[in-house]
Amino acid sequence: MRARAGAAASLGRLRVIDWAPLLVLVLLCGIIAAINPRFLLFGNFVRIAQAAMIPLVLAIGETFIILMGSIDLSIEGVVALGAVLTSLLVKNGANAHDLGVAGVGLVVLTGGLVGLVNGVVHVRLRIPSFMVTLGTWFIAAGIANAALGGIAVRINDPIVRGLVLQRVLGFPWGVWLALGTLALGWFIQDHTRPGRYLYALGGGEELAALSGIPAARVRILAFTLAGAFYALGGVLSGAQLGLGNAQVGQGRLFTAITAVVVGGTALSGGEGGVLQTLVGVLIVTVLANGMVLMGVSPSIQTAVQGLMIIVAVSLSIDRKRLRIVK
Amino acid sequence: METSQGNRAAAFSRRTIVRLAGGLLAAPAVLRGAQAGGKPTVVNSIRSLTNPYHATWNRGGAAFAKSVGARYVTLVTEGNSEKGVSDIKAILEKTGGNCVINVDPNDSPDARPIVEACKGAGAFVVTQWNKPADLHPWDFNPNYVAHISFSGVPYGKQMAETLIAAIGGKGGIVALGGIESNVPAIERKKGLDQALAANPGVKLLDFQVANWQAEQAHDKVAAWLTQFGDDIKGIWAANDDMALAAVEALRADGRAGKVPVTGIDGTKLACEAIMKGEMAGTVAWDPYWQGGMGLSIGYHAKTGAFDPAKEPKDHREFYGRATIITAGNAKQYYADNFAKEEVLDWNDIWGRVTGQIQYG
Repeated sequence: MRARAGAAASLGRLRVIDWAPLLVLVLLCGIIAAINPRFLLFGNFVRIAQAAMIPLVLAIGETFIILMGSIDLSIEGVVALGAVLTSLLVKNGANAHDLGVAGVGLVVLTGGLVGLVNGVVHVRLRIPSFMVTLGTWFIAAGIANAALGGIAVRINDPIVRGLVLQRVLGFPWGVWLALGTLALGWFIQDHTRPGRYLYALGGGEELAALSGIPAARVRILAFTLAGAFYALGGVLSGAQLGLGNAQVGQGRLFTAITAVVVGGTALSGGEGGVLQTLVGVLIVTVLANGMVLMGVSPSIQTAVQGLMIIVAVSLSIDRKRLRIVK
Repeated sequence: METSQGNRAAAFSRRTIVRLAGGLLAAPAVLRGAQAGGKPTVVNSIRSLTNPYHATWNRGGAAFAKSVGARYVTLVTEGNSEKGVSDIKAILEKTGGNCVINVDPNDSPDARPIVEACKGAGAFVVTQWNKPADLHPWDFNPNYVAHISFSGVPYGKQMAETLIAAIGGKGGIVALGGIESNVPAIERKKGLDQALAANPGVKLLDFQVANWQAEQAHDKVAAWLTQFGDDIKGIWAANDDMALAAVEALRADGRAGKVPVTGIDGTKLACEAIMKGEMAGTVAWDPYWQGGMGLSIGYHAKTGAFDPAKEPKDHREFYGRATIITAGNAKQYYADNFAKEEVLDWNDIWGRVTGQIQYG
């Protein structure tokens, strides 16, 4: 949970602030378990993992983007497109396609393509990522809608459904896939050159460019990867609901960005990472699960979520380094 | 209205989509309308085409238009009231009022400007689901032909009764509601409460709001399985999307088909789930009928087949009839409605009147 930018400054010192999200998570689990001990049942860990797998895959993609100080709003569109394409390419209730794993591969490639468009338009046409990805969100959602014309298609592929229904060591395949995605994300972030450059871009792009970092290429690559991750999230969504339609993915953008920020990745860029995001995703997921277990009235659940976001973020912000807050 | 209620949750996206896509959709529609000759143009104004409910509504409208050889136009509000009203004004302008409009207003207050604009242009209008309680067709004779709605209370209740019967009249159930402030969500929940009051052997273990959305419903049901485990004998959901997600959450736990689930809306996948024994029931509003018959009623008035001013009030503001689908009739319903295009007698305009709408 070491903050990366300015790591040199704090190297060797244990900064409480870096651990705040994890403490929030532990505290949250403690409170919920105290009120309803069933929270601690193994079965519930499996259910939380199942609920967390999709937000995790999406939030890892978003983490790359936020690390650069940009934002990617295309999540819901790509998830919908991913779920719809999955439902049309693998064994399904609407057509004779049965591409199986190859179909899933095509879906992930398509997501990467949308991300590539995001990156190229953003960098080459110099349009802020906010606007570009807002546009591609609607384009992707529009294509998903046009492909199905409002109907829902049942997914019958045993491998895709197996992501949710088949278990290994007690957890569904999809959870392991999400953890694999996390490992991949962590590897890219910590052990590849473009991954390290993400922090440099977020910390100060002009400086980074001056020191020879290919900013444009890194940005395009990051958006492409993120798009592929979102599409994988779409595959998992389709697997979880057993169907694809243009409404799959609604509400996912908010959860993903919340998880990234609550985990401790700064919206200004340059600080945080995918492991922090894992903590953020767990906070958001455990809270949603816990509110049902604690019997929090549905009418105030949204308000509690909002409160939790502010608390978590306020604990993890390093105010010493913030001169201006916008 | 049903699935589209979920769209409100994503109001930001929808509203913005409108600005981007709205103009594109409306412009050609309006131009086509302009070319209409003697026969009135028939127009459906609905919330979106992204959900099965309104997509089916639209097919019904197209089928009616074909049956009388009229030009057919679809206007999509995408959850934007302003766009909904202004698109209707545009089509009134282009057709010189020679049109029939069947509208599912985006929000109740929209009905008034829409009706007033139609009256002003001499067009005939039928509204469905949403209108202010004090706006009445008989105050705008003859142009405001009728308002059609479906009460959520009896159908929410009937689904609860279906569920209670499926669990043998006793045990614990859980329930998933729609967006708390939506009228259909409130009505359906009220029906559930009525059925529970009449069946003291059945306990409502918990009620959660999943905002009409599948993903939220899925996670709520998963949490319930932790909290109540085998005590959950049945699940009531306020729409089919949530009901189907509940079935999937049960399936992930190896319990699909063992815990009965009911929905509302009558979607194709829900009907299939009933045939498979994974759902116990749903209610079909028949949007195909709503999309086509709303136009037919307006068209009959416009072409002089009847005079709206002479019709009784229960033909002017009425509850339509929905179909209860359970294991007994699911196969037949599927064969008639999903396996092939539904066949309706568009001249049977009052065939599904089930009483005057009660307000308050």
